[in-house]
This record gives sequence, C-alpha cells and structure tokens, in this order.
Amino acid sequence: MKRIGLLINPVAGMGGAVGLKGTDGNVEEARRRGAIPLAQNRATITLALLAQETGLSFVTCSGAMGEDTLRETGVEQYQVLYRYCGESSAQDTRQAARMFLKAGLDLILFCGGDGTARDIFDVVGRDVPILGIPSGVKMYSAVFAVDPVTAAELVTTYEIQFLRDSEVMDVDEEAYRAGELKTRLYGFARTPALAGKIQCSKLVFEEGNEDRAKGEIARFIHEIMIPDVLYILGAGTTTESIAREIGVNKTLLGVDAVKNKKTVAMDIDEKTLWVLLPHGQEAKILISPIGAQGFILGRGNQQISARIVRRVGMRNIVVVATPHKLRETPVLYVDSGDPALDAEFGNSVLVVSGYRMAQRKRIYQPERG
Amino acid sequence: MQTKILLDEEQMPKKWYNVQADLKTPLDPPLHPQTKKPIGPDDLKAIFPMELIRQEVTTDRYVDIPEEVQDVLRLWRPSPLYRAFRLEKFLATPAKIYYKWEGVSPAGSHKPNTSVPQAYYNMKAGVERIATETGAGQWGSALAFATMLYDLECTIYMVRSSYTQKPYRKSMMNVWGAECIPSPSTKTKCGRAMLEKDPETPGSLGMAISEAVEDAASHANTNYALGSVLNHVCLHQTVIGQECREQLAMVDEYPDVVIGCVGGGSNFAGIAFPFAGDKLNGKHKDVDIIGVEPASCPTLTKGTYTYDLADEAGFTPLLKMFTLGHDFVPPSIHAGGLRYHGMSPIVSRLVHDGVMRGVAYHQSEVFDAAHTFARTEGIIVAPETSHAVKSAIDEALACKKTGEAKTILFNCSGHGNFDMSAYDAYHAGKLVDYEYPDELIKEAIARIPKIS
Repeated sequence: MKRIGLLINPVAGMGGAVGLKGTDGNVEEARRRGAIPLAQNRATITLALLAQETGLSFVTCSGAMGEDTLRETGVEQYQVLYRYCGESSAQDTRQAARMFLKAGLDLILFCGGDGTARDIFDVVGRDVPILGIPSGVKMYSAVFAVDPVTAAELVTTYEIQFLRDSEVMDVDEEAYRAGELKTRLYGFARTPALAGKIQCSKLVFEEGNEDRAKGEIARFIHEIMIPDVLYILGAGTTTESIAREIGVNKTLLGVDAVKNKKTVAMDIDEKTLWVLLPHGQEAKILISPIGAQGFILGRGNQQISARIVRRVGMRNIVVVATPHKLRETPVLYVDSGDPALDAEFGNSVLVVSGYRMAQRKRIYQPERG
Repeated sequence: MQTKILLDEEQMPKKWYNVQADLKTPLDPPLHPQTKKPIGPDDLKAIFPMELIRQEVTTDRYVDIPEEVQDVLRLWRPSPLYRAFRLEKFLATPAKIYYKWEGVSPAGSHKPNTSVPQAYYNMKAGVERIATETGAGQWGSALAFATMLYDLECTIYMVRSSYTQKPYRKSMMNVWGAECIPSPSTKTKCGRAMLEKDPETPGSLGMAISEAVEDAASHANTNYALGSVLNHVCLHQTVIGQECREQLAMVDEYPDVVIGCVGGGSNFAGIAFPFAGDKLNGKHKDVDIIGVEPASCPTLTKGTYTYDLADEAGFTPLLKMFTLGHDFVPPSIHAGGLRYHGMSPIVSRLVHDGVMRGVAYHQSEVFDAAHTFARTEGIIVAPETSHAVKSAIDEALACKKTGEAKTILFNCSGHGNFDMSAYDAYHAGKLVDYEYPDELIKEAIARIPKIS
C-alpha cells in the first residue's frame, strides 16, 4: 500500500489569467479582477484517474485543500490530517507538510505552483519525495509533471529506484511583476521519474539509479580533467558528485571553481568569476540543465553570465545530466540574456550522461524574422 | 523485371575467399598480452582447433569449404539477392538498390555461415564442448544450432542487458540444446570480479568474451568460439560477397557501392571482402565500400588505430585494430550486436588503408530507415541491419540529387523478429540518441595498453 499525502493550494494559479503573475498575497486582488480557482479542477483530473487504482491510501487537508477533491472523485481510502480555517495560506501549506512528514508517507502529491513547491520543500526537504500537479502561474521548478494525467501515471508507476533530483526554484515575485525574471535555485527535492512503459527491463540497465548515473558521469569527467584548467562547476547534485569524485567540497546551490583538483573559490558571484578568468586562463564550465524545464543557462545560475561564457568559449561548456533527467527534459533552452550568444549554441548540444557516454539533445531556438 | 536473383545449390561457393592474400603487406601480428611478443599457434591451441588457427594466419587466396559443411550450408544457401524496386520507387531515386538477404538461415542472420564450420572443425578435433559469448543473441543462437548438428555441448555467456531485453533469443538457444548464462556471471573468476566492481553492470561483449575464454581455458574438453572480429570468422562469411558477385553478374551488374553494418566486422567482411579484393587487384578500383556503425559506438569513425585487447579482462591477444579502448562499455542501444569496442583487424587495416570507409548514424535515424524499409520491401530488419539500410537509403538519395544511377548493394544481415520492443520504443518516440563524446575522450585514450 502506497501512502500519499495530497495537498491542494486552492488559490494557486488564480493570478495568472488576470495578469497578476503570481497569487501569493494577492488573492483578494485576483478575485476582484474576476479570477476563478483552478487548482481543484486540475487536481480532479489526476485524482479521478487515481481513484480507479487499488493500493493507494491518502492523507490530506480539509476542504478545498484536498478533502473535497478526494470525496468528489470517489477516492475511498483517505484521512484528513490537517484542518484549516478561513482563506488557506502558505502557513497552512507548511503546517500540513509538517503533519505529512510526521506521518511517514511515500510521496507528497501537491497541486500548485513554484510557491507551493517551495513551502512544502522547506518542511520536508529530501525526506519525502514530492510531485507537483502543475497549476501555478510560475512553474520553473522541476518537481512538476508535464500535465495532470502524467502526474497520475507517475504516482502509480514509480518505484523507489526511479527517484530523480529535481530543482526547486525561487522566483522573486516583486521583480517578476515588474517584468523581470529573477530565479534562484532554492534546493533539490526528490521526484518520481517516469519509468518508460516500454522496455522497463532495459531502462533499469540504461539508467540504473540516479546515484549510479551521477557516479559514472563524475568518473568520466574526473578522467578527462586537464591540469591547469579552471573548472567552473554550476549548481546541482550532478556537479556535486563530480566534486566529490575529485575530492573537493562543493556548494550545492552555488557556483564553485576548481583547478588542479583543488578548490579555488566557492559560491562565487559573477564579478568574482570574471576576476578568476584573466586572458589566457583556460577554463571549462560544467553545468547541468534544470530538470523538466531544460534551462542550461539563465535560470538559477545567472552567475555564469554571457560575458563569462564568451570568455571561456562556447566549446568549453560541458553539459552534464543523468539519463533520468534527460528523459524528463525533452528540449533544452538557453537564456543567457544575450540572444546572439543563445543562438550560437545552435540546434543541439551533446550532454554527458554516463561514463564515456553522451546524448545529443535538441536546443530550442526561437524563430527569427 | 526480376525481383529475386537466385543461384542453384550447385553454384554455392566451394571455397572461402581470403583477402589477406591480396594485402600489399602482411597484417600486423597479434601480440601476447603479457610479453607483447607476436603469438604463435601454440598460444592459441588451448582454446582453438588447429585448422581454425591455420585459417587465422593463412595467406592462401582460397580455402576449401569441407563437403560436410557445404551440406549444412545448403539448408539456406545460396541466399537470395533482391532488387529493392519498391524502395527505389518510394525514394524516387535513379539508383539501383540490391540487398543480400541473410535472414533466411535457421538462426535468422548471417552468423551460421561461420558457426557451422567452427563447430565442425572443433568436432573433428575431438572437442566436446564450446564456450562462447553473445551480444544481442544472434551469434549465441547460431552457435547453439551448429553445435547441436555435431553433438557438442555449448555454453553461451550472453551480455546481461540483452539477456533481459531479448528473452526469446535465449529460448532459441535452449531449443537447440545450449546453456545460456547472463554475463557477467558468478560462473567465472573474471565474471565475479566484474560483478564485485559493479554489481549493476549491463555487461558488454568485452566482458562476455573474457568469461567464455576463461571457461574454455580452464576446462580440458572445452574450446572457445568467437562470432566476429577474427580473421577466420571473416573468412567464413565471404560466401556472402562471392554469391553477390555471381548474382549481380547474372543481371550484368557490378556494384558502385557496397554496404554493411559493422560491430566486430564479420557481416561487413562477408559482403565486402570479395569486392575489396577486386579493388586491391585493380579490377574495380572505384568501388566504394562502406561500413556503418552506431554513433554511440563509433569504432571506425572515432576510434584509434592501435594495438588493444579484444576483451575486458585481458585474456585475449592484443590486436592491431580500430578501438575505443577495451574498458569502454558502450551504451545499451538496441543494436546490441554493434556494441563492441574494437574491430576486425582486417577491416581495420582496409579502412586505415583507404580501401573501405566508415560512417556513423544515430539510433533514431536508423530506425526511421528500417521503418521505411519495412513499409516498402516488407522485411522487418534487425536493429543492427537497419544501419546498413540507412546508409543505402542515404546513398540512393545522394544519387537522386546528382542524377547518377549507381548500383548499390547492401547486406541485409538479419531479421528483427525478436526486436519488436525496439520498434515499439521507436514508435513511442523513446529512442535516445546516444553519442560518443570523442572530443572529450581523446585525452583519455592514453589508457590503452602501449606497446614498447
């Protein structure tokens, strides 16, 4: 029996259609502008599919935060662990997540956006896998299924070895409303990945588990590291495992620099990075795309700016990602802030995905007039 | 308009053609893995019968095919040569496409062309049991069939990823009375060591070869058999190209382009060597001979021409060949038979000398080609074979651009009836385009054992 915590942020996504670019702290304004709640409808699609499954039991929150949807879709096995009053808030999400954490669940299934993901992740971290039914205004995090139907599929098919790391992104809402996208990598949750319905036995071999895949990537990168070259390691668990393989510490969320297998600087900002790259300093950038969303540059690693990329040289960017992550990420994107540089990436890039192994992945390029 | 060009059974070749006779200079000899000195027949006696050792090194232009072997080969040989009218029409190409259909053998591929003589010579030498490896299962099933004919026991180490992926290949081996074990296994010392190093390894041909060689070397009544790479294996496959040359002559044709897929090189050698001989002798200097490999395991196009081990553990001699490094474990592509780090030394030499050339393709594009072939010619080919189909289609499309009416011949080496899950994955859009990161690797190739 799989035990699943269901949490719906009933107001998630309301601000989107009425131009509010986010609903946090703006529910009243959204309603005034005529926004209607969406999250429950989205969750209903997923839950209606899960209601037909045996072997699932749910814990949830009262009313619109979960209970109503479970009842309406005919799910029989559920228990309400958290009750809230009045308008649901981020505090309610966190409080419910705390109850879920204590209950020892297999998965938290939530319906909301980046804000909801961040609130749950704050409480449960990597202790409980989380999966999002997309319903927010902003969904830059990698914890979301591509749609509610796929979310149901992931709940019913995932096994423990198919958990992948997924980026939780923090978007500055104030800046976003002002028309500027400021994303910050907030942390890495664990999320079920789709175990291909065809050729399952083969996938086990191809992909193994995430740790094995990361280990293979790290072993390969270690093997090909060149003396006196400055290696700029982007954020993430894949680059972290590379650092571990070389025997240096790595900040999980920051950009670090390594040379001759020794740390040069940790958690560096763009200016410091620039100083580390005088003319003549050969360098390579090791980065991993954000899962599902597919951004190589421009989300969560803005320290690696366009001028840094130009200084290092396009051919010295080494993109790394596990096969799981690549499976969940159909297309890659580059948003360095410099469209000419983005275009130079071309239509595909080689992504190192194992020991002496890579995959050719498509890069989205906007149509140009 | 003749679709099938058929030879009578009497026209089946009575001799194998040995391209070594037409090389300008001899092949670089295999070296002992420890001493790095050229090996002699005595070094191979522990695992091969003397006649096969002789065939490995002979420079005679022709080697007789024993009557008893011919009798068995006649079960499916001479194999048909087809003119691909429907494919040509679909491509709207002026090119003429011919394909040699080797899927008519009991095991469904070209592999029995060599498994039968290998089992025969072992039986003649009084050997009771043969150990071998298999990648996708084509070779394993072919040897199971051949050992059954001569009442030999047969143990097959099958690359673990394929063992799980293609359970029916194992069933075939069982029907013909062979034992099939997923490799690496706990049966051998080297297999146990590999499992200890990496319990979840998908296995590789290199690992499976090590296990089979250890098995053969440590059992007195047991010999080893290899389904590709070695000179005598390539020799046995030359019935393919010899028949093609006869069949094309029947319709007054000689190919401008000859194509085969390459893993270890044997089916490619089979169709190509007789034509390579014509090229070396100056009879047909312009024939273009193409070996097609996966972009994920691009031995000919991205490998290094040097001495390297033929297996993972280091039991085999060092061979002068194109290699990606004997410790390279290629990704689990569907064309399991092409997942080999090295290459036949003769094919390597001919590519190095410019007599033949290699091209590499991604997995999804070769399946596109296989799909086109199935929808036009009807035959559902093995994923390995689909590489040759892809190259033939590309050559034909190039003719469409230039207006040339080239004659293109390719080896349609086997059927894909056990590979339908691969076709399912193709239809579901789930094929991954693996690619060998060769620019990053050039530095690492230094790991190949150097000879002093």
